[in-house]
Amino acid sequence: MNFKLVARMAWRDVRSGEMGLLLVALLVAVGTVTSISLFVDRLQSALLEESSNFLAADRQISSGQAIPEDFVLQAQQRGLGTAQTLVFPSMVFADDLNQLVSVKAVDATYPLRGELIVGSEPFKRGAPTDDVPEPGTVWLDSRLFPAMNLDLGDSIEVGMAKLTVARVLIAEPDRGGSIFDLGPRLLMNMQDVGATEVVQPGSRLSYRLLLSGDEVELEDLRGALPLEPDYKWVSVRESSPRIGRALDRAESFLLLGGLLGVLLAGIAVGLSAHRYAQRHFDHVGVLKTLGATPAQILRGFMSLLLLVGLAAIGLGLFLGSLLHVAIVEILATLIAVDLPLPTARPFLLGAATGLICALAFAMPAFIHLKNVAPMRVIRRDLGVAPLSRWLSYGAAAGGSLVLLVWYTKDLWLTLWTLVSIVSICLIFGTLAWGLLKGGRVAGMQAKSGWRLALAGLQRRRAENTAQILIFGVAIMLLLVMVLIRTALIDEWRSQVPEDAANHFVMNIAEDEVDGVRELVRERATEGEFLFPMINGRVVQVNDLSAKAWQETAGRNSDGPRLTSERSLTWSVRVPEDNEIAAGRWWSADSSEAEVSLEQGYAEDFDLGLGDRMEFDVGGRKVWATVTSIRSLEWESMTPNFFIILSPGALQGFPATYMTSFFLEPEEKVFLNTLLSRYPTITVIEIDALIAQVQKIVGQVSQAVELVLALVLLSGALVLVASIQASRDTRMAEHGLIRALGGTRALIGGSLTAEFLVLGTFAGIVAVFGAELVVAMLQMQVFRMEAEAHPWIWLLGPSAGALIITIVGLLGSRSLIDTPPMSVLRGLY
Amino acid sequence: MSRTVVSAERLEKIVQTSAGELVILDGIDLEINKGETVAVVGASGSGKTTLLGILAGLDTATAGSVKLLDANLTDLDEEARALARGQHVGFVFQSFQLLASLTALENVMLPVELRGDTMAQSQARELLEKVGLADRLDHYPRQLSGGEQQRVAIARAFASNPTVLFADEPTGNLDTQTGELICQLLFDLNTEFGTTLVMVTHDLSLAARCGRTIAISGGRIVPSQLKEVAQ
Repeated sequence: MNFKLVARMAWRDVRSGEMGLLLVALLVAVGTVTSISLFVDRLQSALLEESSNFLAADRQISSGQAIPEDFVLQAQQRGLGTAQTLVFPSMVFADDLNQLVSVKAVDATYPLRGELIVGSEPFKRGAPTDDVPEPGTVWLDSRLFPAMNLDLGDSIEVGMAKLTVARVLIAEPDRGGSIFDLGPRLLMNMQDVGATEVVQPGSRLSYRLLLSGDEVELEDLRGALPLEPDYKWVSVRESSPRIGRALDRAESFLLLGGLLGVLLAGIAVGLSAHRYAQRHFDHVGVLKTLGATPAQILRGFMSLLLLVGLAAIGLGLFLGSLLHVAIVEILATLIAVDLPLPTARPFLLGAATGLICALAFAMPAFIHLKNVAPMRVIRRDLGVAPLSRWLSYGAAAGGSLVLLVWYTKDLWLTLWTLVSIVSICLIFGTLAWGLLKGGRVAGMQAKSGWRLALAGLQRRRAENTAQILIFGVAIMLLLVMVLIRTALIDEWRSQVPEDAANHFVMNIAEDEVDGVRELVRERATEGEFLFPMINGRVVQVNDLSAKAWQETAGRNSDGPRLTSERSLTWSVRVPEDNEIAAGRWWSADSSEAEVSLEQGYAEDFDLGLGDRMEFDVGGRKVWATVTSIRSLEWESMTPNFFIILSPGALQGFPATYMTSFFLEPEEKVFLNTLLSRYPTITVIEIDALIAQVQKIVGQVSQAVELVLALVLLSGALVLVASIQASRDTRMAEHGLIRALGGTRALIGGSLTAEFLVLGTFAGIVAVFGAELVVAMLQMQVFRMEAEAHPWIWLLGPSAGALIITIVGLLGSRSLIDTPPMSVLRGLY
Repeated sequence: MSRTVVSAERLEKIVQTSAGELVILDGIDLEINKGETVAVVGASGSGKTTLLGILAGLDTATAGSVKLLDANLTDLDEEARALARGQHVGFVFQSFQLLASLTALENVMLPVELRGDTMAQSQARELLEKVGLADRLDHYPRQLSGGEQQRVAIARAFASNPTVLFADEPTGNLDTQTGELICQLLFDLNTEFGTTLVMVTHDLSLAARCGRTIAISGGRIVPSQLKEVAQ
């Protein structure tokens, strides 16, 4: 067939609606993938940028020693942005008041990512600035103003230098990343550091070289610099594992969403292509009687598919971009960060998706057309040999595999998903087939809608089994998305609840505990724990010295040392978020000296239940027996201890205590009251960190919701395509029943019953499948704990029945409305 | 000089069913010469439609041979049979078999276009005028009556200027009066184009208008009660 003829056929098919669903399915596949990947691509860059704010850079090199000039030069030669900071604790003076502060000296290019927020009044909202303190000036944390009775323009002494207070420092981007900067912040210019004369040998200094720029150049620099052992390379994922993991999981989820979207769209493409082919059997029969050869038919329909595919790709890319622009616009108020320009990858991905969907899902049906026997033209009863299942499913599976692996860049995630879906189809296909087979009755049972429906379901067992599976898989994929999304967002939110303690207080002396707690309760929300803290070290294990034990345990001497001084605590009950992995926790009234170890710690040093450990606590020795091993949630924002002893072992040793509290931002001045009344205690502020984590979690959650909505759209399309696919058979049967006197009510009732049964079955398949897939994904991909979701057990089948019935009845309106004569004449 | 257009020798068609082998055609021998008009008659299930399908190259026989002009259809694959059909054969079906998505004109143009002929449109227009549908060119099949649809089908059958025209119950779906008109049209065009006509029919009066009748019963040719006139 020549191109003109093909083009005309394609246009006629599109115009007459024959090609409509296939075109829409391809359009949705391309559009969904393009818009999701465009959005994800830009959001990923944005999130990475946002989370880079934790470092105020893309990477940092940190050290207790000054950063060599050569490092800076090498970075600059690679076109990277650089800035240097120096953090150290220092006592500062204003008149006769003094205060321990955390000084941060910065150079003019600081910060490379994120921004400094400054104001002219303490405890008020500030505005971003591109400046850093001028030489000779400092910017101070709000609470330093009342604490040291300072105003803007006053002088403050840092070491030997006298500097002018120029602005109020409201926020700095990398504050959250350094929990252990003790004390309020004083920001000054790097040029003034010399004049302070505080940088002496033995000072506690933290030098950082901030770096920003091209990823490849950054990694290249990392390889080129002699970092070990004095200089530490820091990236977002390493410095903030919590954020890093949230990002990883969000990325996996977004990709999974895209993956399921593609699968659903692929199914829709396959279904509509099969329907298109089926409706063209006669067409091809006629063409063949008129002399069209199988090769011509094949070429013609392939060109037609290609033409429609190309049109769908062009339009899909355009619509995908529009959709993504719309999404970005809608979310503009929510997403505070500027989205960087997209790369070409999303467009390539969209185009390839369209092409592969067309080839893998639609092509087998089109190829099959060439096998239609011309004899069919005079003998309608001559069926068409069914399409080779190997070709059809093989192509679909192959296409999915290629597309998904390319899309997710994760062979295992893809294989797991495909294997799960295939197993579920096999198990439930057999089950559905068996159920439908049961109680086969003769005739159409056309007396009541229900009986008519059941008879129809049994008669078209094969088609209905396939339809149950398709509905089931579509609903299952949607449930999977909803469950994973809920689990992810819940987990993120639970890590940083709205009222999570945002301040830790340490070094509380025993006689100060009651006073501090009372004060905290007045002005803030006290945290849930109060831990005694006692410094101590392990000196002996069983019969060996700690050093010898570590050596025999085969530990690398460069790693953590068993003999290092650690914070010990004692507790009557198991701390929250800790779980006993082995052994048992001591009873509350036990006077035995027992010790509980963190799992990783015990593994590192080859310690187990029954081992006896000797601790040196301030010169006094204590023996304790290991009676339990704990696993704990390092993600939680509560203090975690490697070593916890029973009260019997440590009670009576002088200890200091730590607790936590939640403080509203406007109550920050309370810290001054607390610190002035108890000057020896230490307050660690993690409110900035928590706020940043919450912001990122919020953004990631929005992206996740959005992807879910797009996948829902693909799911709806599959339902419509599947109902369309079975429409012709239903139409023929119901037309006949109506011609023979069946009422519209009977047909309507029968359709409703049929869809209710199909939907319920599909819902059951979906629930089983979703539980299975979610459990597997949670364990294998998201590294979360698997859990059952009893609430979907009733919801799945009911929602399945409801959705399928509504979509089914809407899609079958014409079955009831088309005059029986038109049905019998084939004019529908 | 008469020339054989279609011939069959010891033609058999056997299909496998769940009840065992079913013999549809059982040793058919026949020859049809150029310009003949032949009616194939028989009861339902006698095998006449299957015979037509095999003679036209739409279907294959289980055994025996079929020749269409110089081509031995039995030796050809579907690809080659299709080319032979496109070159030499025209069809008229009981159920018209027009493509619903094409207009009357486009349906008639189709066989000509399939051959790559650029004059498709003018030829099709001319043929539709001949069958009295000059004012229905842009109508879709669903907008045409049964008789009109069959006229389009006849115009399409002659569009490729075939050597032999196979008709399967061409008036089976039409009322007597319309059937009579269609029949007349078919014979008129057949004469005008000098085509060989092979027609399967139940209608004995229609069969009587043909030059020869081949009666089939139980898959075999049986002596016909109608006249047999060799042309």
